[in-house]
Amino acid sequence: MKRRSFIKKAGLAAAGITGVPYILPTGRLFAATGSRVVNHVVYVLFAGGIRNQESVGQQFLMNQNASLPEGNVMNNMLTGAPPSGNLIHDPWAPVLNTPMMEHGTLFKEVEYKNGPTGHYNGHTVAMTGNYTETGLNLNINPDFPTIFEYYRKHSDPNESAMNAWWISEGLGPYPSLNYSQSANYGAQYGANYLRPQSILGNAGQSQLGNAVSYQPDDVDRINRIKNILDNNFAQAGEQLPGIQNTPENREQIKNFLLQKMEDTANGNLDFATPGNDPNLLTGDLINISAAWQVLDEFTPELTVINTTNLDVCHDDFSAYLYYLHRADYGIGWLWNKIQSHPVLANDTIMVCMPEHGRNLDRNNIVDANGLGAYDHTGDNNSRRVFTMIVGPDDKVVQGQVLGSPSNPVAESIDVVPTIAHILGFKDSVPSNLMPGRVLDEALI
Amino acid sequence: MNKIFQLSMIFLFSMSILFGCKQEKEYQYVFEVNEENIYQSNVDKTKQKTPEQYISILFSNLFSTTVPQQDLSQLAEVRASIGDKQMADEIILNDFVNSGNASTPTDQEMRADVDQFIENTYIRFFLRKPSPYEVLELKQEIEGDTELTPEMIYQAFALSNEYKFY
Repeated sequence: MKRRSFIKKAGLAAAGITGVPYILPTGRLFAATGSRVVNHVVYVLFAGGIRNQESVGQQFLMNQNASLPEGNVMNNMLTGAPPSGNLIHDPWAPVLNTPMMEHGTLFKEVEYKNGPTGHYNGHTVAMTGNYTETGLNLNINPDFPTIFEYYRKHSDPNESAMNAWWISEGLGPYPSLNYSQSANYGAQYGANYLRPQSILGNAGQSQLGNAVSYQPDDVDRINRIKNILDNNFAQAGEQLPGIQNTPENREQIKNFLLQKMEDTANGNLDFATPGNDPNLLTGDLINISAAWQVLDEFTPELTVINTTNLDVCHDDFSAYLYYLHRADYGIGWLWNKIQSHPVLANDTIMVCMPEHGRNLDRNNIVDANGLGAYDHTGDNNSRRVFTMIVGPDDKVVQGQVLGSPSNPVAESIDVVPTIAHILGFKDSVPSNLMPGRVLDEALI
Repeated sequence: MNKIFQLSMIFLFSMSILFGCKQEKEYQYVFEVNEENIYQSNVDKTKQKTPEQYISILFSNLFSTTVPQQDLSQLAEVRASIGDKQMADEIILNDFVNSGNASTPTDQEMRADVDQFIENTYIRFFLRKPSPYEVLELKQEIEGDTELTPEMIYQAFALSNEYKFY
């Protein structure tokens, strides 16, 4: 063999070895970028604005009046004794035998350092890993890439939106958070967005309730006629803005949604309530219940969900405690479901974080129980949140609590790089895009 | 000579009146509840419908009435709740066609007079008559597949590129 030919062939062989994707023993195919901690992340934006005092501080009513009891109303996520009296939140028995914090690391004091403490801003910071000054509730895609785009561009081998889901309790600006305006990322790397309350609720049942699931043969028939018609028309319609699934995935998701609508109408959906009682559902619990259906069906690698009902705290502190207690139940219920799933169990890390806190001082509104309400206008207290990372005991440090009010140990922007590390693509993302750090202390 | 010239001028004048400038006849068809201009061909369709136009025109085409405000509001909510807008539109269309309220011919009616069904469907969705070749193509499909239903054909028309334009 001539020397030049040998060098050329050797080079091609080396390129093949390093560049060709390989198949893991689990059957998963992905390019050789970085090693993963686990293959699934569920990121819960425990949102709506939650004060550390009532959550990880377990102070219950004590801040309203020093003579009122303190105690833990989040008995699925946190270890701690419940309030001894004045139980205005109609307590539910925990769904978990041991609280989630025993299965991972609680960063008890995390800073939301910069920018307005608005819900959209808080979500944007949590999902892009960058602080933003964007005004409240602007219905636009964020400037910086979202965690979905990083994941799909740098990690997902099939670049499939089926592996990335953003499931929100509310509409408004939230649908805009499934992809950014970034020139190098954008909709082609976005997540499937879903607002289950609309699809499974009145609007969906009224407007989509007659839709039928077609067999593949019938889908082929419709597409065959469509192709004939398209061949006789010179123009192709511009793609609709937003993410696009492949035709096969689109059919799968359509059939899934229609089935879940039917299950809901017939009372056959698995609800995140005691006794599977649909009458106990809140908006947050509907969202969590539907998120489980997505996880169970598609086992996505990256799922982000949120709660928002706790924002009632602007004018009803009692309802805020009620929703805090129920959202905690829902998150515990979801974690419990994951532990019994054949694919997700022992291969999933869950991260929980409020998008921002609430003010230290009450506003002027008093609820029916005589309790004062709280806004979130950017004082230091509204910049205090927590982060909980739970997962398998050989992947996540168990039962660890870090940080205190005088010693914050992390920032809101740290979750995105942490998820990027967990899913093995952190080093592929340009470092200037992710200013936060990996929360290594939580990982083994 | 003068006579020949005069006769020539009269002849030319007559010809110019008879054939010189023939006015294009515009057809106006009254179609269901709305008056619609019928296109002579699909080359006139150059503007893409907005999502709102698409949904409201689709509703009118299928139900022969304008979309009620409450339905429009719920449709907007449902559409906002699904990130893949193509998928959202396909489910909405699927619901419309299978609602039982859309004026859709039965399979028996379609197969009793396939040519008429094809012409009606083209006028209904594309606001134009099909070319003979288009009739032939679709007729072959319908006659060659007994499981192809009017509902499926309506969905194919509503999902086609031509339907996205006006």
